Amino acid sequence: MNSFYDLIRIFCEHWARVGVLPESFQYAFVVNSILCAMLIGPLLGGVGTMVVTKHLAFFSQAVGQAALTGVAIGIVLGEPYTSPYASLFGFCILFGLVMNFTRNRTKMSSDTVIGVFLSISLAFGACVLLYVTGKVNMHVLDNILFGSILTINDTDMNVLLVITVICASVGLPLYNRMLMASFNPSLAHVRGIRVKLLEYLFILMITVITVASLKVVGAVLVEALFIIPAASARNISRSMKGFFFYSVTFSTLSCLVGVILPMELSIPVPSGGAIILVASVFFLATALIRMAGGRFKDAAI
Amino acid sequence: MFVPLIDNKCCSKGPGVLFDRVNLTLGNTSILENISFTIDPGTIHCLIGPNGGGKTSLLRSLLGQMPHTGEIAISSPGPVVMGYVPQALDFDHTLPITVDDFMAMVCQGRPAFTGIKAVHRPSIDQALSRVGLTKKRKRILGQLSGGERQRLLLAQALLPFPNLLLMDEPMAGLDKDGGRMLNDLLMELKHQGVTIFWIHHDLKEVKAIADRVTCVNKGVLFSGQPGLVLSSQQILDAFSAR
Repeated sequence: MNSFYDLIRIFCEHWARVGVLPESFQYAFVVNSILCAMLIGPLLGGVGTMVVTKHLAFFSQAVGQAALTGVAIGIVLGEPYTSPYASLFGFCILFGLVMNFTRNRTKMSSDTVIGVFLSISLAFGACVLLYVTGKVNMHVLDNILFGSILTINDTDMNVLLVITVICASVGLPLYNRMLMASFNPSLAHVRGIRVKLLEYLFILMITVITVASLKVVGAVLVEALFIIPAASARNISRSMKGFFFYSVTFSTLSCLVGVILPMELSIPVPSGGAIILVASVFFLATALIRMAGGRFKDAAI
Repeated sequence: MFVPLIDNKCCSKGPGVLFDRVNLTLGNTSILENISFTIDPGTIHCLIGPNGGGKTSLLRSLLGQMPHTGEIAISSPGPVVMGYVPQALDFDHTLPITVDDFMAMVCQGRPAFTGIKAVHRPSIDQALSRVGLTKKRKRILGQLSGGERQRLLLAQALLPFPNLLLMDEPMAGLDKDGGRMLNDLLMELKHQGVTIFWIHHDLKEVKAIADRVTCVNKGVLFSGQPGLVLSSQQILDAFSAR
């Protein structure tokens, strides 16, 4: 796989030299970040439609912030601090599944359970981080929190590619079933849908996607990329088709523009922040269209 | 326009259902006690009773969604195809999901955002036409009235064509035309052998359309032919009990 990335990088470098692509494409890290953006964009945009439909926006935020604790645990356990994937995936998956299990068993509202688990995770993370302060440069954590395209390597791209392929292969055939389960669990059950199993599967999907996107978008902001493109798409869509494809388009464009624009304009901002700001522009524009356009004025008080 | 529903598979009678000493307790609260009655194949069987009497719990026990004791047996010579009309659809009204999207979602494996598969289109067209929603198929669900959403729930229950139809107060929200449409539809289904079990509140309707009626208020208060069991005194007893 790595030689495949090398091949793409060589092509990009060549096209950048002859002037077909912008000059910055000569650098390997730029090509890496573009490749990641092209995977993350459609993935988060597509899954985001389901996150919005299922009202799981703050769940992804909780998982994103639990990643910080996962990194701290990884450093304590001796994993490389640039990519402690075993601890990240291990802690975040456990965190997501236990949170969902607690919500199911206690029948408490989602926001209450997520709020409690988010606080526990942050408190635990803060304690472990203090312990590892002496071991690593704390600026490494900025990359986890806000994303940094400079740190993306072939391992990160492999992880992202594998997660994308798995989620697309599992999520697309089960898309209708997952949607149905959120509309009316009782009806879904009658139609042979295993509601609880799909719920856990979806939680697992959000968790692994969140972890795989950390390097580019950042722990604090990854949740925004699930929600903002889907919310923007909802502003101007009149069907599921529009909802899904607009969301994928907005998300992919946000990632690409958010990665490329700061480099071309030499603006020193973290990639996560730039991506979300671009996504926010889409949201504001579509919100204005919704407010101005008569056909979308269907909201009632 | 009246479009007859066609069941290409069979016209034999649907399954029968036996409830035998069914009990349901949630926590320390007893919801159902010693429920025993039968639903005959190919009949319309209504379930009535006061609010909180356990009607929906009994229906959900039949659906396998409640941890009951006792036996609920469905007997059928062939496979049982169950259609279910829930009381309501709980969803975010601002979601851009159209009537067509909803039908695609319940009928096909391919994601709804790719549109309705050609193979499913005729049956979806037929079901929507039967409940009078053909002209509203491009509307988003949030723009439908309560009655129209109820019609949509009916339409989805017809796909695939059921031989056992379970309905939890499908009349709620329906206007006069909607009520007439539902009655016509049920009679048509009955003639095709479909067994229909529904929770209903309108006793006049029950008398007019049901073959049998069972009144539940924790236990079975009475069960039989509507003309025989729906006397004023029995109704008064049933709805003033508890």
